[in-house]
Amino acid sequence: MNPNSQSCSCPGRIGPSAGRRAFLQQASLGFGWLAFNGLFATPANAAAHHAAKAKSIIFCFMDGGPSHVDTFDYKPMLKKHEGQKIGVSAVSKRSQSAPERVWLGSPWEFKQRGKSGLWVSELFPNLANVADDLCVVRSMTGELPLHGQSNLLLHTGRSLGQAPSFGSWVSYGLGTANRNLPGYVVLNNDWVPNGGLENFGSSFLPASHQATMMRAKGAPVDNIAPKDSAAIQRRKLALLAEQDAAFAKVASDARAIDGAVANYETAFRMQTEVPELADIGREPEAIRKLYGLDSKDEHQRYYATQALRARRMVEAGVRFIEITCPSFDGNNSPWDQHGMLKVNHEKNARVTEQSVAALITDLKQRGLLDSTIVLWAGEMGRTPHTPAVTANCGRDHHVNGFALCVAGGGFKGGTAFGETDEFGNAAVVNPLTVHDIHATLLHQLGIDHTKLTFRHGGRDYRLTDVHGEVVKALLA
Amino acid sequence: MLPRIKGLFLASMLIGSPSVAMAAESDEKIAFFESKVRPLLLARCIECHGDKKQKGGLRLDSRAAWSKGGDSGPAIVPGKVDESLLIKAVRYRDKDLQMPPKMALAPQDVEILTEWVRQGAIDPRKDDAATLVPSNTAKWEAEFQKRLDWWSLKPLRAVEAPKEVPGAWGREPIDRFIAAGLDAAQLKPAPPAEPEVLLRRLSFVLTGLPPTAALRERFSNDVRRDERKAYEKLVEELLASPHFGERFARHWMDVVRYTDTYGYEWDNPAKGSHEYRDYLIRAFNGDLPYDRFVREQLAGDLLSPPRIDSEFGINESLIGPMFYHMGEHRHGSSLAFNGVHQDMVNNKIEAFSRAFLATTVACARCHDHKLEAVSQRDYYALGAVFTTPRWTTRAVDAPGKNDAAIRQLQSLRASIREEMAKTWGEAAKEPDAWPATAWQKLLPAKGAKAVAIEEISYPLARLGSPQEDVAKTWSALATEWRTARADRTKHNKAFTTLADFADPTIPAGWVTEGDGIRFGHVEDGTPLIALEGDAPFARLLPRGYHTHALSSKLPGSVRMPPDHTVSGQRVSLKLAGGQFGGYLEMHENAIQGEEVAFLTNVQPHWRTFADKARVNGITRVTYDFATSSLNPNFPPRTGLAAGLPNNDFGFDKRSWISIAGIVTHDGNGTPLDALDAFEGLYEGAVPKTVDEAQQRVSTWFARAVVRWCEGKSRPGDHQILDWLLTNKLLPNAAAPGSDLAKMLAEYRRVEQGIEYSRTVNGMDERETAKAAYALNVRGNVDVVGEMVPPDFLQMFAGRHGVAKSLGSGRLELANALVQADHPLTARVYVNRVWHWVMGAGLVATPDDFGRLGEKPTHPELLDYLAKEFVREGWSTKKLIRRLVLTQAFRQSGIVSEAGRTRDPGNRLRHHYPTRRLEAEAIRDSLLAVSGRFVPKLYGRPIFPPRVAEDGSKRLFAGPLDGQGRRSIYLQMSIMEPPKFLVGFNLPDLRLPTGRRDETNVPAQALILLNDPFVHAMAKYWGQQLVKVQHASPEDRVLAMFAAVFARSPSEAESKRWTSAARDFLSPGHVDLMKDEAAWAQLGHAFFNAKEFLYYR
Repeated sequence: MNPNSQSCSCPGRIGPSAGRRAFLQQASLGFGWLAFNGLFATPANAAAHHAAKAKSIIFCFMDGGPSHVDTFDYKPMLKKHEGQKIGVSAVSKRSQSAPERVWLGSPWEFKQRGKSGLWVSELFPNLANVADDLCVVRSMTGELPLHGQSNLLLHTGRSLGQAPSFGSWVSYGLGTANRNLPGYVVLNNDWVPNGGLENFGSSFLPASHQATMMRAKGAPVDNIAPKDSAAIQRRKLALLAEQDAAFAKVASDARAIDGAVANYETAFRMQTEVPELADIGREPEAIRKLYGLDSKDEHQRYYATQALRARRMVEAGVRFIEITCPSFDGNNSPWDQHGMLKVNHEKNARVTEQSVAALITDLKQRGLLDSTIVLWAGEMGRTPHTPAVTANCGRDHHVNGFALCVAGGGFKGGTAFGETDEFGNAAVVNPLTVHDIHATLLHQLGIDHTKLTFRHGGRDYRLTDVHGEVVKALLA
Repeated sequence: MLPRIKGLFLASMLIGSPSVAMAAESDEKIAFFESKVRPLLLARCIECHGDKKQKGGLRLDSRAAWSKGGDSGPAIVPGKVDESLLIKAVRYRDKDLQMPPKMALAPQDVEILTEWVRQGAIDPRKDDAATLVPSNTAKWEAEFQKRLDWWSLKPLRAVEAPKEVPGAWGREPIDRFIAAGLDAAQLKPAPPAEPEVLLRRLSFVLTGLPPTAALRERFSNDVRRDERKAYEKLVEELLASPHFGERFARHWMDVVRYTDTYGYEWDNPAKGSHEYRDYLIRAFNGDLPYDRFVREQLAGDLLSPPRIDSEFGINESLIGPMFYHMGEHRHGSSLAFNGVHQDMVNNKIEAFSRAFLATTVACARCHDHKLEAVSQRDYYALGAVFTTPRWTTRAVDAPGKNDAAIRQLQSLRASIREEMAKTWGEAAKEPDAWPATAWQKLLPAKGAKAVAIEEISYPLARLGSPQEDVAKTWSALATEWRTARADRTKHNKAFTTLADFADPTIPAGWVTEGDGIRFGHVEDGTPLIALEGDAPFARLLPRGYHTHALSSKLPGSVRMPPDHTVSGQRVSLKLAGGQFGGYLEMHENAIQGEEVAFLTNVQPHWRTFADKARVNGITRVTYDFATSSLNPNFPPRTGLAAGLPNNDFGFDKRSWISIAGIVTHDGNGTPLDALDAFEGLYEGAVPKTVDEAQQRVSTWFARAVVRWCEGKSRPGDHQILDWLLTNKLLPNAAAPGSDLAKMLAEYRRVEQGIEYSRTVNGMDERETAKAAYALNVRGNVDVVGEMVPPDFLQMFAGRHGVAKSLGSGRLELANALVQADHPLTARVYVNRVWHWVMGAGLVATPDDFGRLGEKPTHPELLDYLAKEFVREGWSTKKLIRRLVLTQAFRQSGIVSEAGRTRDPGNRLRHHYPTRRLEAEAIRDSLLAVSGRFVPKLYGRPIFPPRVAEDGSKRLFAGPLDGQGRRSIYLQMSIMEPPKFLVGFNLPDLRLPTGRRDETNVPAQALILLNDPFVHAMAKYWGQQLVKVQHASPEDRVLAMFAAVFARSPSEAESKRWTSAARDFLSPGHVDLMKDEAAWAQLGHAFFNAKEFLYYR
C-alpha cells in the first residue's frame, strides 16, 4: 500500500459538501479512495466556484491548423496583393516567414451570413448556416509555429507539455455526472497527434482523469467487450466475490480491496453502458443524415459517428468530450496543408464541418446548447503568404494571429472578436492567448481558473499557469 | 513573450489619446529592444564589447556606455543612422570598419539595428548586471541564508541507535529506531508475517516476480528445519537472482525518466537506450557502489580509468551519461525557433536535481525559488554545466575489442597488395602488350557529358575523337594542362589547409571516435578489399580517413569544433560516404540536431560549411561527420533517410564516410584538383601518330603501376590506378586455390567475425570549451540576461570545483555529490531504497526533500542509515539486506485498532502494508504463472501489442505476449507507451518519478477481465495444466494456488475453486482434467483475484 500517493491534499480541488469532504479525508488514508473519487464522483456541479452556465464541453480539435484567412477571417487585401513580396516587416518568429515570400489570396469566396452578418467562407457551407450561433475569435496568438508545441499548448496550457490535459482538469474539477462513465472522453481513431498521447493525458493529476479513448470503427473502447459469455463472467465474479472478501480480511487495508472489488461492479455495468452509449444505430434517420452518416466518404462517416456520440455523451453526463480529426492521406496532421491547400482543405472541411454544424443544430433543438460549449479550434492558423503562388501551393505554420470559434454554453453567437491586420498576418486588436480561452471556458463551467490547482513537484499548478484572463466580451 | 503581447495590447487599445499613445509607443519600443535588439547585441557584440572585454575601449551593454563610446567616439547617435559608427560598422561597406570582424550580420539584423537607432535607440538598460540578474542581491543573500536552515541541508548527524534490548525488535538497529517510535506512541508492531506470506513479499520486493514452485519447496523445507536461517538463505538467494537487477533497474528507470524514444512529433529512437537499461541491470546485479554509479551517470565519459566489463566487451562508464539523454527531445532547433532548447534543458535540470538531490531546481527557471535556497542563477549555472559537453553518440565497446582482428586485416591487406603487386608488375613490364586499344572502347559515346579536365580519360577522349592532327592535339592538351595546372595552383592558394592527410594528423580541436577512424587512415592507392565477388580489390582509396578502409562495420566519427572557432568564415571538407554515412549539424545546447544529411558519393567531393549566426542563446554550431552508428540522429525522423524503412531502427548497419582533406577559407568555391595525375604524360617529344600517342599513354599508365608496385606512388597516381581498375584494365582476380584467393577468403572470414559496434547517446567533452547558458529574464526566452557560466548550486558553495573546471564541471559536480559528508546524496538514495523495499519512504516524497515535501518520519534513522550506507561502501545490496532482515519488514499486515486510529497513515510502521503490484509485476506475473515467461536478460526493445500501427511515427505492433519477456524489455515509447502498463500506472515517461501513483479504477478491472493478453495467458496456462498428471481437480487447484498465491488453499477454498472448475466444464467435454478451456477459465479467475494483484 502506498498511503503517501494519496497525501496530495489537492488544495485547489473544488470542495464538495462537508459530509463528502469528511468522507474523502477519511477515505484518503487508504488507497481505495480514488475509486470513489474518479468515476464515482458525485454530480459535483453544485459545488463549483460560481454559478455555472455550461455543464459540458465538446472540443472539435482541428488537428494541423486550419487556415484562418480561408475560413473565418476575411482578408480581401490578400487577393489584391497576391504574388507580391511580403517584405521584412511581415516576418515574425511566430510564423514560418521570410521577406521574399508572397501574399496568397483565399481560393474561397467569403460572404456575410445569417442575421448577424458574420463572415464565413464557402469552405464551410454548413457552419455558415449556424453563423448566428458562432462566437468567432480572430485574434488568437500562440508561442511557436510548430505542431507539437502548439498542440500541447492548446491541450495542456504549456507548449512544454508535461502537464495535465484541459479535459483532465475539467474531470478533476467537476467529476462526472454519471458514475458509470468517465469525465473525459476522446473520440479518436487510435490517432496519436503531434505532441503524443500526452495531449490527452492526466500527467500529474490522478490517472483516473486521463482521457478514455473511443474509436469510431471496431471495438469502441479497449477491453469493453466481454470476452466471456454472461454466464461464465457471472460465475467468475461470484467466485471472486467470495475469494476477495476473504482476502480483504487479511489485507492491511480492507477498503483498498473493497474499492478494487467495487471496480468490478462498475466494470461489469460499463460493459453494457458504454457500447449502448456508443451505439448510434437507433438514432432516427433524419438525425443520422443531419450529421452526415449517409456520406459515401468513410472518414466523414467516422467523424459523423463521433459527433453524434458526443451529443449522446453530453446527455449522459460526460464533462469533456474531444473529437479528433481523421487523418486520411498519411499526413502527419490532417489540416497541415503546406501544399495542395485547395484540395485538402476542402477534403478536411467536407469530412468535419457538416457534423460540427449538425452538433450545434441538434443540441439546440434539444435545448442543450445553452449548457454545452462546442469549441472548434486548431492549434494554429496558416500563413497568409506562401513561397510562390502555384496551383498546388499551400500555407505554412502561423501562430501570430489565427481564429477559432465557440458555440453555445453562454457564448455570444453571431459575433467576431478581435482582429488581425489587413493581411491576416498578426493579431492587432484584442490579441488573446490560449490561456485566455481556457480561463473563459472554465469560467463558463463555474470554475475560477486561478483556483483550480494541484500541488506537484514543489508548487501549485493550474491549467493556465500564471496567465489567462476571462474574456467577458465573448460572453452573452 | 508577455511584454510584447502587452505592448500590442496597449498599442491597439490606446489609439486616439495622444499622451497615452506616446507612452504606448515607448512601451512598444522597449518591447522591440527587448525582443530584437538585446538578443542581437548579446549574441554578436557583447562578447568583445561587454564587461569582460572592451575592444577599442567600447562597451555596448548600456546606454551610458555607448553614448560615451570607445576610442573612436560615441558609437550611436540616436535618431541619426548615418552618423552612428555602430551602423557604419555593421553595414560592412567601409573596409576599415567592419563589425563583427569574422562575419557580417545578416541583412535583417542590420535592419533591426538601423531601425533601432533611427527610432532613437531606446535602451532601457542601465547596468545589465544589476537589472538582469535578480539573484545575488543583498535581499536574496539574506533570504538565502535563512533558507539554508532546513533539515535536509544540514550535515548528516552521527546518530547512536537506541540501546539493544532483549527480544526480536531489540537486536537490529533499524528495528530499535522503529520500536522506539512505536513505544513513544504507545503502539505495538504487528506480529511477524507467516513464512509463506514473507516468501511472496520478498520475492516481489527483490525480483518483481512471484516465487517459483521450486523456490517455494526449498524454502518450506528449510523453514521446517530453521525458520530464521531459512529466511536468511532466501534473502541471499533472491539478492543473487539475475532478476534482482531487472527489478531495481526498473525502479531507477522511473527516477531517471527512462524512455526508448524521444516522443513529440516523430518519436525518434533514443539511440542506445536499451544499452543504458542493460547497464543498469548489470550495475544492480553487480552491486556497483552507488558513489561510482552516480559518477558514471553524470560524468562516465570523464572517468579515468573507465570501468570495463570484459565479459560483455563494454566500456560501462561511457554508457552512464545516457542518463541525460532520457526524456523528451523537441522537434526543431532554437536557431529557427527560440525556446526549443530551453525546454529540453529544463527537463535535464529537473531530472538531475530531483533524482540525485530531491530538490526542485526547475522551479527557479523564471525567478529565484519561492521557497528553497535555489536562485535563478543556480538554474542557469546548471544549464551551463549540461550544455557545455557535446551531446552525441559514443562507441561503448571495450577499448581494443577489435584490435586483434583489425591487425589481422591490416596484415592481410598488405599481403594481398603484395600479391597483387606481383601480377600488376608483370603486366606493366610490357607496356606494349597493354590493352592499348581497350581504353578507346571506354571513351564516352558521342553526345555524352563532356569529360572534365581532371578526369583520367580527358586526354584519351580528346585523342580518341576523329583525328585531324595528333601532334597538334597533343600540343594543345599539353598547353592546356600546364595552364590549368598553374591556374589551379594559384586558385588553391586562397585556401588554408587544415589537413591533407599526408600523415594521420587530425587538426587541433577536432575530435574523432571509433575504430573506423582509429584504423582508417590510408596512403594514396591503398586497396579497399572487396567483401564479396571474385575480385580482391573493390577500389583504390585516396589518402585520408576512410572508416571502411578495413571494414564497413567499424564506426567512425569526426567532430568539428564550433564553426566560429575554426579560422576563416568557411570550412570545406573533401567528403565521401555511403550506407547512411553523413553529417549532422548540431546547434549546441539544442541537445540533438535534426539537420542530418547523408553522403552518397564514392569519390570524395568538397563540401563547404559556412559559419552560422548564433542567436537565441545558442553559443555554438558544430558538425558531426559520422557513420550511421555514431550519428546521434540516425535514424532520423521518418522520411528523411531515403531508402530506410520506417521500421529500421539502425541497428547493425554497415556504413562509411571518407574525409580526404580539410581547408578553411573566406571566399566562395573549393580547392581544385591540381592535375598531378598527368605529370609526366606530356614530357618529351610530341607524338606524331595515333600509335605513338597510344604508346605514350600506355607508358604513362605503366609507370604509375610500377611506382605503385614498388610502393613509390606519387600524388595523382592513385587516380590513374583507380581508373584502370574501375575500367577493368588491370588484372583483379584471385585464381581459385591461389595464395591470393586464400588470403582474400581469410580477410573476409576475419571481417565477418567483427561484431557491430555498440553505440549509445552520451557526452563528449574532449576539446570543448566551457559554454555559458543565457539567463532568461522571468523565464522569457526572448529576454536574454547575462550569460551564466557553469557552476553548482550556491547552497554547496565552497564544497566543489565545478566553476573552476576547465570543462563543463560535470566530473567535479559528480565528485562533490559523492563526498561522504554530502547532506543529500546518501539521504536521498537511502530513502529511495527504503521506499522501494518498505512501500513508503522515511521521507514520503522521495523526489522532494524541500519545504513542499514531507519531513522524515524517523530523521535519526535516516541519518543513521545514510552514514552506514556510506561506511559500507555505498553498497545497495548491503542496504537492502539490512532492510529485509528487519522485524519491521517481516511483520505482518495486521493493523491493530490502536494503530488504525492513532497512526492511520502507518508513519510509525506498525505493520507492513499490503501493496498492489506495479504494472510490470502484474504483467510479469501473468507470464510467470502461466509458464510463458522467458527469463532471458538484456536486449533490444520489443514493441508492445497495438491495435493500430502508425509507421510514420514508428508505432509498430509487437506480439501479444512480448515474446514472453519481462515488461522492462517492452519498448517505452513516449508517444504511446505500452497500454497494458499505462493502465496500472506506468509513470509518465518524460517526468522523473520517485513514487508512482497508485490508482484503483474500473478500467483496471476491464483490463483484467477482457484484455486479450490476460486471456492469452490464461489459455496458455490451461494448456500447460492439462499436461501435468494431477490426481484430481483438488490437486490441480492446489498447484494453481501455489503458482499464483504461493500458498496452499484452505479446505473451503479448495472446494470453492474446484466447484467453479466443474462449472466451467466445456460443453461436450466429459473429462474435466483434460479440458484446457475449463482450466483456462479458472486460471483467468485467478488473474482477477485481488490476492493476485496485491501482496501483503
